Amino acid sequence: MTMTDCASCADERAAGAAFCEACGRPLASSPGAPPAEIPPPGEPCPNCGTPGGVGADGYCENCGMLAGRPRDHIEADCGAIAAAVTDRGRRHHRNEDHMWLAVRDGEVDVVVCDGVSASFDPDVASETAATTAGALLASSPDVSAAILGAKEAVAALAATGDPRRAVSNPACTIVAAAVRGSEINIGWVGDSRAYWLPPDGPAEQLTEDDSWATHAIAMGADPIAAMRDPKAHAITAWLGADAAPVLPRTGAFTVVGAGHLVLCSDGLWNYLTDPADFAATVREHLRAGGTLIDAARGLAGFANDAGGADNITVAIVPVSSTPVSAPSPATETDTTAATDTAKE
Amino acid sequence: MPYTAEAFQNEFLALGATEVNAIVTVTSSGAEGGRRTSGATEIIIVDASGSMQAEGRINAARQAAKAAVECIDDGVNFAIIAGVSTAQQLFPAPGQLAVSSPQSRSDAIRSIDRLQASGGTAMGAWLLLAAQLFGQRPGDIAHAILLTDGDNGERAGYLEQVLDSIAGRFTCDCRGVGVNWKVSELRKIAQAMLGTVDIVAQPSGLTAAFEQMMVKAMGKTAADVQLKVWTPVNATVRFVKQVEPEVMDLTGKRIEDGPRAGRYPLGSWGAESRDYHICVDVPAGAAGDEMLAARVSVVEGDTVHAQSLVRAVWTEDTALSTKINRQVAHYTGQAELAEAIQAGIEARKAGDDRTATIKFGRAAQLAHASGNKATEELLATVVDIEDAATGTVRLRRKVEAADEMALDTRSTKTVRVGRAQ
Repeated sequence: MTMTDCASCADERAAGAAFCEACGRPLASSPGAPPAEIPPPGEPCPNCGTPGGVGADGYCENCGMLAGRPRDHIEADCGAIAAAVTDRGRRHHRNEDHMWLAVRDGEVDVVVCDGVSASFDPDVASETAATTAGALLASSPDVSAAILGAKEAVAALAATGDPRRAVSNPACTIVAAAVRGSEINIGWVGDSRAYWLPPDGPAEQLTEDDSWATHAIAMGADPIAAMRDPKAHAITAWLGADAAPVLPRTGAFTVVGAGHLVLCSDGLWNYLTDPADFAATVREHLRAGGTLIDAARGLAGFANDAGGADNITVAIVPVSSTPVSAPSPATETDTTAATDTAKE
Repeated sequence: MPYTAEAFQNEFLALGATEVNAIVTVTSSGAEGGRRTSGATEIIIVDASGSMQAEGRINAARQAAKAAVECIDDGVNFAIIAGVSTAQQLFPAPGQLAVSSPQSRSDAIRSIDRLQASGGTAMGAWLLLAAQLFGQRPGDIAHAILLTDGDNGERAGYLEQVLDSIAGRFTCDCRGVGVNWKVSELRKIAQAMLGTVDIVAQPSGLTAAFEQMMVKAMGKTAADVQLKVWTPVNATVRFVKQVEPEVMDLTGKRIEDGPRAGRYPLGSWGAESRDYHICVDVPAGAAGDEMLAARVSVVEGDTVHAQSLVRAVWTEDTALSTKINRQVAHYTGQAELAEAIQAGIEARKAGDDRTATIKFGRAAQLAHASGNKATEELLATVVDIEDAATGTVRLRRKVEAADEMALDTRSTKTVRVGRAQ
């Protein structure tokens, strides 16, 4: 996503703002413009190149290929404050991950959800969970309450829409973090993870997967053998109508010094199970790209190059005990990161 | 008109797979207030050949024709044709159509008493006269009832020639009375004219059969509904079949309509629901690709009433791609059931008992598994079903001709998924 100065009032964009600090208009895309991901009807087909090929329903009138799915690749760029990317990967037919990233003065809310493929409409579950939890975090940093709110919203999906949802109710994982200055609250259900990345040394996993492998290892199984087991990724807790009444697990941390909070779905961490590898790879992308969004893009690209077996979502939030710069406390604009940009 | 079209399919294909199947259910709640959107014309064709004297058939045919006339709504145009070696218009005056009213209906009923059985059977000539009469009212809901009791006496190939020239001009429901007529002949007419075919074994059953057909015809509110199927470049439509309420292959009836699209005639519609099986071959896509394999629209002239999308999504996830859609599987089975029965009857006639037993066995299995009780009962009149689940049957030594003809004509009747009959 390329963020420009505000087209409406020519005000310079404040670092990290997704909305114009002067007039409040979204900066991600010019008002009224169609989303960049789906070529509008009448555009050339990105698949076969037929001029004017894209039909009203998004399929090419010549080759029939879907011209684009907005959720295949979404980016959220909040400049130096935070960045997140979600990507379909190479093997899955749609992106069932979803994310939420909102920044206010010195505050960041970030949520990553991963739809359970075996359920019906898991993409709707992850979107519902991420947006519900994200909206709740805007008013309170209580991640537990936000996750429980998301859980209710996802459970309610089973009774709406397609009747197949009742048979195999939509379900997803969730990991949410509320960053308030140097205070971080995290909470999770399932196997989407949060890591703390210090300036050096291995990454510290802040979450503990609700998965068969984690349970087996906790019971004394050999970690390597357990992770290789076909059941390794079977999750033992999730959000959905059929979920057991489990309370989300939470943690609270105060950052001393500086580092990066990284939230991701298993589409990324699967390729980086070793905390030292994880740290090295994330640092490499932070260094290489320069900007946070480049690093997030780079990590999604890394997972795709490694096979892209699952949907990939990664969010990066730098956190330090001494805030770099505190913008004027008068503005309370809730800057839900807008989504954007080209498919790879 | 409030039409809906809904596609049922497993859109997920394994990598390299190119065949896309979907069942499209088209439902219409009928025109607003049940009123027709156009005029309607009804023609009743009654075989008056010499053979109709037997078993009091001509008398039963008179009663049935009278009952059918009573069912015609006021304002509907109608005519009655007496079928002999030539086509003779019994009512009203030759070359004309009457407008239904209490007066015209009682005139028609009186004229039916003049119906005498003598002469031959010339179905091609009868249908041709009907087509000429329908031709006076283009755009009408055009429906005919054809009753016969024997073989067509015209030279070979003439009936086919007539059908080719009049196909799509009206729908024609065919009924055979007694057992001396050929199922294949009437089926040919019904298929060309998008109608039904059935046996009325006893002349006493004719009145009920005629009333039923006429009531159904009066319920039609739209004249010429079509299914428009768009497919992408390099894709081919393997078949388009109506699969409910009965199997009817529409593939050969395609009329090209612009680039990559064709129209398939569905005939007239009332408040009803029918299912269509659409099978398209598409070029294989890569993992994650999503293609529109067919855009299926219910159209009347230039008006698109409803639309449904048949999609193809390629995936490496075999748990998704190997799932068999229940509707597709069910109707694939129902179509095979009809084929198995017809093949069984043919084999039995040819004296090939072994093939007949295998075909009827498979039919019994399919009818049983799909809950098609009506067909299973008809099968039981031709073979002894020892074990329907495994398809073990024994040919009966003595089979009533009427039973076998009923099985043959009704072999194409299907049931919906999970709907017990």
